Amino acid sequence: MAGVHRYEILSKDKTKAMKTVETLNEGLKREYRVTITAKDIDARVDDEVKSIAPTVRMPGFRPGKVPPNLIRKMHGAALSADALNKAIDQSVRDLMTKEKLRPALQPAVTLADGYETGKDAELTVALEVLPDIETPSIDGLKLERLTVPADDKAVMAKIEEFAAQMKRFEEAPKTKKAATGDQVIIDFAGSVDGVAFDGGTGEDMAVEIGSGQLIPGFEDQLVGAKVGDEKTVKVTFPDEYPVENLKGAKAEFAVTVKEVKVPAASKIDDEFAKSLGLESLDKLKELMKDQVEQELNGLTRTYMKRKLLDQLAASHDFDVPPTMVEAEFGQIWQQLEQEVEREDDPAAAKAELEADRDDYHAIAVRRVRLGLLLSEIGQAHGVQVSSQEMQRLIMQAAQQYRPEDRGRFMEYVQQDALAAAQLRAPLYEDKVVDFLFEKAEISDREVTREELEAAIEADDDSGHVHGPGCGHDHDHKPAKKAAAKKPAAKKAEVKEEAKAEEAPAKKAPAKKAAAKAETEEKPAAAKKAAPAKAAAEKPAAKAPAKKAAAKK
Amino acid sequence: MAKAKTVDARHYDVILAPVITEKSTLLSENNAVVFKVANDATKPAIKAAVEALFDVKVIGVNTLVTKGKTKRWKGKPYTRSDVKKAIVRLAEGQSIDVTTGV
Repeated sequence: MAGVHRYEILSKDKTKAMKTVETLNEGLKREYRVTITAKDIDARVDDEVKSIAPTVRMPGFRPGKVPPNLIRKMHGAALSADALNKAIDQSVRDLMTKEKLRPALQPAVTLADGYETGKDAELTVALEVLPDIETPSIDGLKLERLTVPADDKAVMAKIEEFAAQMKRFEEAPKTKKAATGDQVIIDFAGSVDGVAFDGGTGEDMAVEIGSGQLIPGFEDQLVGAKVGDEKTVKVTFPDEYPVENLKGAKAEFAVTVKEVKVPAASKIDDEFAKSLGLESLDKLKELMKDQVEQELNGLTRTYMKRKLLDQLAASHDFDVPPTMVEAEFGQIWQQLEQEVEREDDPAAAKAELEADRDDYHAIAVRRVRLGLLLSEIGQAHGVQVSSQEMQRLIMQAAQQYRPEDRGRFMEYVQQDALAAAQLRAPLYEDKVVDFLFEKAEISDREVTREELEAAIEADDDSGHVHGPGCGHDHDHKPAKKAAAKKPAAKKAEVKEEAKAEEAPAKKAPAKKAAAKAETEEKPAAAKKAAPAKAAAEKPAAKAPAKKAAAKK
Repeated sequence: MAKAKTVDARHYDVILAPVITEKSTLLSENNAVVFKVANDATKPAIKAAVEALFDVKVIGVNTLVTKGKTKRWKGKPYTRSDVKKAIVRLAEGQSIDVTTGV
């Protein structure tokens, strides 16, 4: 605790003095005791009265002609409460200016017990300040841009994959026996104990054997059927069957097989393109190429951003406000717990989670720190979100809503500063990152997609290893995991890599991505829009990576 | 009104209510207050009542009676009650807070 000193803050009116005493100064935490004199409050009440006087109506008076002392009599209680609030607000603001404090979150102001109208008000103001970040040096950032050309091979692979999804069945020769994977067209009539039941009959139903859409055992018994075959399928309804009286019942289905179809791969030609509503195969290729390029650009950007953040984290180390970290951590934790609930074995997963608690905490610290850093950079260099951009952003966000709700949503955003800040945060962050990209020395290098993805993965390790700033603030666990995974992942197809990452779903990275959405909210709520975006930082970087990988 | 001596209850029957209007507040510049008083109250009675209830010195009382309007209800005429008001001048430097009541 630093020395307790005492001084007076004079507000506009010299007669109004308030006393401020610093009672705590520890790390980023500050606490002050502020005394607002009764006279000050009184003057505010007067102001208040004066301001509402023209609008007051009272029987016996023309509107606005009510004498002030009467108003005060009638509305005094409400007004003084109001005035007190304003006085508190003002004094807290004065305190901030005087002390040059930059609060991280809304200061917690408590009024001492036993306050009565007409007495001096004693406040305790507890807050956390933002750390003094010397304007981060943004020179000498070196980044490597890994670009992957979208070659024909990748495009074709994409199309093939696309084609595979468009499953078609072709009629098989009459003698063909249905096998798993084939589709059969059947008529069926089902009965329980010889009695037909509701919904037990059907015609021309297409059944894909092995798809598991029907009652267990039903499809299996169709294996080997030929066109024209009549079979009796005996099945037992599962106990959890939704129809009450069929639960666990034994049923017989008289099945007539009308057709057997075998799956056929869609051939990639103009025909295929046309079936998708496009003019020709070339068009489709073009379209796919765009998609692939977009995906790759996203990857490239993700990589650069990650690198950038790592560099920033490595070169800056400062204390972060514990409450912000707590808020951040709370969110991560909540997210994790929700996910754990969905696990097969919640108890075990929870235990594992509990064990990693420190790691997650470290993640929260890093996120908050990077957030502050980015907003600082943004402010220092005048990065701003223009109103047009904001407008576009709102439009985009509005798309998720039903058309009739859109108007309401837009209105809401325009009125609610908080909501707007939430929207703006990610964009602002992106702009800062873009700005940094411009400043940074960028060396281009062409790599293959696999290399790029591996680099992003690898980054998970390296990013945390260097620099004391991020060494401890980073999650060792995911780092290690990623490392362990890597050899396998590298060999494996990209898809598997993505899975590998997701499989140990308890690991942070996956989570982070998920946590991202809400992440912004809390800090934004902290009134400072700036820190918000940053908090979203890391996960933002990760999310696209994952998505891209998964898509592939 | 913390008063040691008990106030005669009849005074409460004389003074009915303060009249709080723009005009009555203007009168306060002349150190006068306006009350609604009982219709049968006399000036001396009003003076006595005000002095007893508010613990002030009264130097003069003027009274007036506003006649009740003639109104009609279902075509039948009736008159509203008359109201007697008293404008009470107080001695220099004394005042009554009309909004607090007695």
